[in-house]
Amino acid sequence: MRITVILRRVLDPAGIVAHRRLRRLFINREEYILQPADRCALEVALRIKDAGDAEVVVVSGQPEPSDDTLRRGLAMGADRAIYLCGESFDDADDAVVTSVLKTVIGQLGGADLVLAGATTLDTGQGQLGIRLAEALGWPQIVGVRSVEAKNGRLRAVCQDEEQFVLVESDLPAVVTVCPEAVKPRYADGVRLINVYRGQGEMAESLETWDVGDMMSADELVPLLESRGRDFPPERTLGERVEGTPDEVAQTIADALRQRLRG
Amino acid sequence: MDFTFSPEHEALRRMIREFAENEVAPIAAEIDREGRVPFEVLHQMAEMGLLGVCFPQEYGGMGAGEAGYCILMEELGRICTSTATNVGAHIGIGAMTIYLDGNEEQKRKYLTPLARGEKFAAFLLTESDAGSDAAAIRTRAVRDGDHWVINGTKTFNTNGSFADIATVMAVTDPTLGARGGITAFIVETDTPGFEVGRHEDKMGIRGSSTAELVFEDMRVPHENVLGKVGEGFVAFMKSLDMGRLTLGAAGLGGAQAALDWSVQWARTREQFGVPLAQKQSVQWMIADMATEIEALRSLVYRVAWMVDTGQPFTQVAAMCKLYGSEVASRAIDRALQIHGGLGYSRDYPIERAFRDARIAEIFEGTNEIQRIVIASRIFREHGVRISP
Repeated sequence: MRITVILRRVLDPAGIVAHRRLRRLFINREEYILQPADRCALEVALRIKDAGDAEVVVVSGQPEPSDDTLRRGLAMGADRAIYLCGESFDDADDAVVTSVLKTVIGQLGGADLVLAGATTLDTGQGQLGIRLAEALGWPQIVGVRSVEAKNGRLRAVCQDEEQFVLVESDLPAVVTVCPEAVKPRYADGVRLINVYRGQGEMAESLETWDVGDMMSADELVPLLESRGRDFPPERTLGERVEGTPDEVAQTIADALRQRLRG
Repeated sequence: MDFTFSPEHEALRRMIREFAENEVAPIAAEIDREGRVPFEVLHQMAEMGLLGVCFPQEYGGMGAGEAGYCILMEELGRICTSTATNVGAHIGIGAMTIYLDGNEEQKRKYLTPLARGEKFAAFLLTESDAGSDAAAIRTRAVRDGDHWVINGTKTFNTNGSFADIATVMAVTDPTLGARGGITAFIVETDTPGFEVGRHEDKMGIRGSSTAELVFEDMRVPHENVLGKVGEGFVAFMKSLDMGRLTLGAAGLGGAQAALDWSVQWARTREQFGVPLAQKQSVQWMIADMATEIEALRSLVYRVAWMVDTGQPFTQVAAMCKLYGSEVASRAIDRALQIHGGLGYSRDYPIERAFRDARIAEIFEGTNEIQRIVIASRIFREHGVRISP
């Protein structure tokens, strides 16, 4: 079974201070972590690999100046990594990344399962996996908690409002994984050292592909133009509930019920 | 000159920090309270390859060198000195002796499972009458055909109660002193005659095990002699040099934690209408802590680089241990002062850090011994021999 996992990175929130009054973001330490949901997607892939026979390929799912993201994926246990780069890729938006990833999967000779994070820590978007499924014309299961792949069929548990739903699908398929789905493993230290030194079994594991060689210039023109960034509106304060404990509990229960219905 | 960490060491630090914060921090107070060795954490570290961080990959290690080992000890020292002590005794002195002085067969047989973390190591040197004066040991090994018969008692043995493999120093020729009369042995702790005695009830590092060990007619095969007969003292001293450096690294972590707590507290705690950060008395303490920590960090990683590039390091390793333990104690003492009564309370980690830090001025050679090592090297360059 061939599994492709899309990995993206995000600035470590511990190194950032947001200053609302100055409308500025201070980056004290420019350190990146794997998107937590992407890391869970990789863990899901590695568990499928542990349980049977699978090759796990990680692909960078965003334009970025470093290949650290993929090295972390390799250190956790991925077999092969494709680092996408190229000047023309630097301004890519989700639409461009989607068409590039579709081409990459084609050049890898297809995949039985594509896994990606269901959400991103910084922007909260979960677009990439959904767009990719659409571009590939494959079934998609969004926001899963657990995945089982057997005999060409896929069984996944996802969360639908208050209940868990078991979903089945044919392969190939695209699945996006919740950041709470599984506890991802730590990297294997020996793999980590070898990945960075390019030695031992990890010597050939990281490949660099130039996006400019794979796509025409037209295909790399982003659809979105960023005009600037601002803070979202401040959260409004909640309501204070007064009364005896019973009254307070009743009011809260009523409010929750109202919200679920509404 | 280049003072930057390599990308693999940066990545290793991130991995260890995440592990220490997620897996070790939540149990640090509990293992101190209960006086229990956190095996669950040690097994996880074994799986990640951390228990062989500095040993070559051909012997089951990670191959991250002494710099990698210092990173591990610094990050563990930040979170839990007990865990750092368990790991340090295993890697830095227990397994290290076999790595430095073992022959190829001994390394394959004993170092490999230790580096993989499948087995645990201990380093057995100290006796009731041989502390700082390590050459005064009385544990006796007598040759009997293909075996040596060992009798004696070792005290204050970190990991000794649960280790699978121990390196033991014993007198093989009482007529000769430290040079020629003492031999190092590799002992499998399930050997008949190896008995675990009293456990120490300690002031700090309570999540590590310190026990007395008694050897009664313990028969060790001659092939388990480490290095040459009569050269055990030198072998053990070499391992201790290596251990001293990483104790400095653990002290660095402890001092950094104390600074981080203090800055956090001084930002938010208000007295006389302003945060403590606005008080010059506190600012000066913070500035002094940060300066000492920066100096210690430079020393520790420079010495790690000296080890990894094959330079002599006995004197500077002693400086690492001496300075690292004192910087940590001073930083934690200042952090306690900044936190006031809350720092003295068991609800805050400073109280534990304070007790834990104290041992580093004593074990693996008291700081007085470190000063002797440093001074003797200085005087030796001027043709003066000093004796301890």
